[in-house]
Amino acid sequence: MTDPADSVLIEGQKEKVRQGLSRRLRAERRFRAYGVVAIVLAILMLLFLAGTIAANGYSAFYQTWIKVDVFLDEELIAPDGKTDPQTLREEGDFRGALIESLVASYRVRGREKENRLIAMFSTDAERTLQRHAIANPRLVGKNISIWVKASSDIDQLTKGAIRRDLPESGRKVKDVQLVWYDRMAAENRIETRFNTGFFSTGDSREPEQAGIWGAIVGSFLTMLVTLILAFPVGLAAAVYLEEFAPKNRLTDLIEVNINNLAAVPSIVFGLLGLAVFLNFFELPRSAPLVGGMVLALMTLPTIIIAARASLLAVPPSVREAALGLGASRVQVVSHHVLPLAMPGILTGTIIGMARALGETAPLLMIGMVAFIVDIPGGPTDASTVMPVQIYLWADSPERGFVEKTSGAVIVLLAFLVVMNASAVYLRKKFERRW
Amino acid sequence: MNEKSVEHVVTAPPPEAAEADPAGADRNPVKMRTRGVNVHYAEKHALRDVSLDIGEREVTALIGPSGCGKSTFLRCLNRMNDTIDICRVTGRLELDGQDIYADSVDVVQLRASIGMVFQKPNPFPKSIFDNVAYGPRVHGLVADRADLEQLVEQSLRKAGLFDEVKDRFGDPGTSLSGGQQQRLCIARAIAVGPEVILMDEPCSSLDPIATARIEELIDELRQNYTIVIVTHSMQQAARVSQKTAFFHLGDLIEQGETPQIFTNPRDEKTQGYITGRFG
Repeated sequence: MTDPADSVLIEGQKEKVRQGLSRRLRAERRFRAYGVVAIVLAILMLLFLAGTIAANGYSAFYQTWIKVDVFLDEELIAPDGKTDPQTLREEGDFRGALIESLVASYRVRGREKENRLIAMFSTDAERTLQRHAIANPRLVGKNISIWVKASSDIDQLTKGAIRRDLPESGRKVKDVQLVWYDRMAAENRIETRFNTGFFSTGDSREPEQAGIWGAIVGSFLTMLVTLILAFPVGLAAAVYLEEFAPKNRLTDLIEVNINNLAAVPSIVFGLLGLAVFLNFFELPRSAPLVGGMVLALMTLPTIIIAARASLLAVPPSVREAALGLGASRVQVVSHHVLPLAMPGILTGTIIGMARALGETAPLLMIGMVAFIVDIPGGPTDASTVMPVQIYLWADSPERGFVEKTSGAVIVLLAFLVVMNASAVYLRKKFERRW
Repeated sequence: MNEKSVEHVVTAPPPEAAEADPAGADRNPVKMRTRGVNVHYAEKHALRDVSLDIGEREVTALIGPSGCGKSTFLRCLNRMNDTIDICRVTGRLELDGQDIYADSVDVVQLRASIGMVFQKPNPFPKSIFDNVAYGPRVHGLVADRADLEQLVEQSLRKAGLFDEVKDRFGDPGTSLSGGQQQRLCIARAIAVGPEVILMDEPCSSLDPIATARIEELIDELRQNYTIVIVTHSMQQAARVSQKTAFFHLGDLIEQGETPQIFTNPRDEKTQGYITGRFG
């Protein structure tokens, strides 16, 4: 069996394999190194992005409060001597009382200086006083000590965003205000607290009073409308196309166009919404209803494509087994195919919804970019959504909105992470390959 | 996947008694009769002019090399080919003298009478109980839970699986071994109360012991059901069947009593296949 020619061939073959082996191993190591480098780069970029946002945005979650001693002067806040809530709410001049007390405490003379002093406090301060007086009417005519919100400039000073070493003309907080600030700080009247208002109020012209809750509610209502429209329609379309539609030119054409639709730039859907929903059907402007309809159009192809892929992945043996038992085709789909495809369909839907949640451009076209202070109460109320709120704040000149912008980005990213995590969780939970 | 896309061409009904029986003298009355069945997949002519009689309460084995059309023929018998868009079936197929491709026949009804067991065990991803209960539930065969439980137990007993699973009806059907899964599929088919059971290479993914168990079961089931089995194993065909039909390249070459086919085939292709010269 050992032919000399054969053994020579094997000898040469072994040598060649050995030479090739080290080359192949090198190539393999090189490829692995490329992969590691790519991943490290991606992680670095992600960390940089997250780090920048966190560094800019974390200060949005707390804010400066100042303790003031206020004399609740009856003549100003209860001029007719009545301390019932309605009088206090409608007639009381709490701003006047605050100014009076501050002027007295800091011995300020002159209109300009008075204005500088009161400008250290948020306009929310007088409302805080008012709420306190309404809750405790017996305090009227007495001296009280109360914590009120500082103005945005003072807040920025506390957070170190305003530099004291600049010449006075170059900074928002003037020398005289710095003196008062330092005195307050020395008397332990300055405090930073968690910014609950950021999560409970709507937009405002004043950075220290601006909150994201209005945008969160707007986003929620918009997503609700999107989900209610896009999920059933997308699911029904996918099931029909995958399980029932005959394979012919028409269905091929529909399939191609669904794929095309998924690639259409989102602003085009916005223009469509403007032309059709607003101008033709005359639906309300700036409303989550219309925003949801536009985003539903945008999300629909994503859901259809994801759902069809999931349906296609259900093994044909399950369909055959059910058909062989005499189940009708609707029964095959509803009893067997859909339950098996559901995890994939849900994942696709959530990812489509997450994309819609971050969408800005189409909503600009239908007027959801308006300045809206109120928290929307329903899908037809004017409102804004989180990404548009970020866009609006990023556009504002005040220093205080810079941190608000990053803070809102953090909130938006948190929502997206939660949605994507729930997609993963749902897939793992329902993915039963028994 | 449109059921309507299957074309049905009614050929002249076969003259009843006058025609000579191609299978020779039958011991059992004919349960299913096919005449001139042709199947096309788009351009491909998969089955040519197949005329075969399937006797009641006996096992008919369909043998032949891969791609010979035996599975295609089997799937014509309960109209499973309806689900394939490009598949076109012509000719006449009867169950108890009734044309099963007639417009008046509902496939759901038909498949309730003609059960099917597939090549790969395909229990639903549900519990053992629900697997067997699915058919009766879909067809509304039982009035209450007690009847359903009784039917499930009976079906599992007939499939020889009851003793092995009686303590774990709630376990997933897919947790069983391959052979048990296949018997579960048989129990599932029986639970609907069919008259005919079609088996498409039911043992091809099983080990020899599980195969022997299924073969025993087929022999028992023959008392009550008409069985058509596609198999690649000639030994299996010889062991379990009473009639054998040999297919080759879309043609039905030869059919007859199983002992006759295996000991004294009339056609030389059959001879070649059963002696292992090709296949």
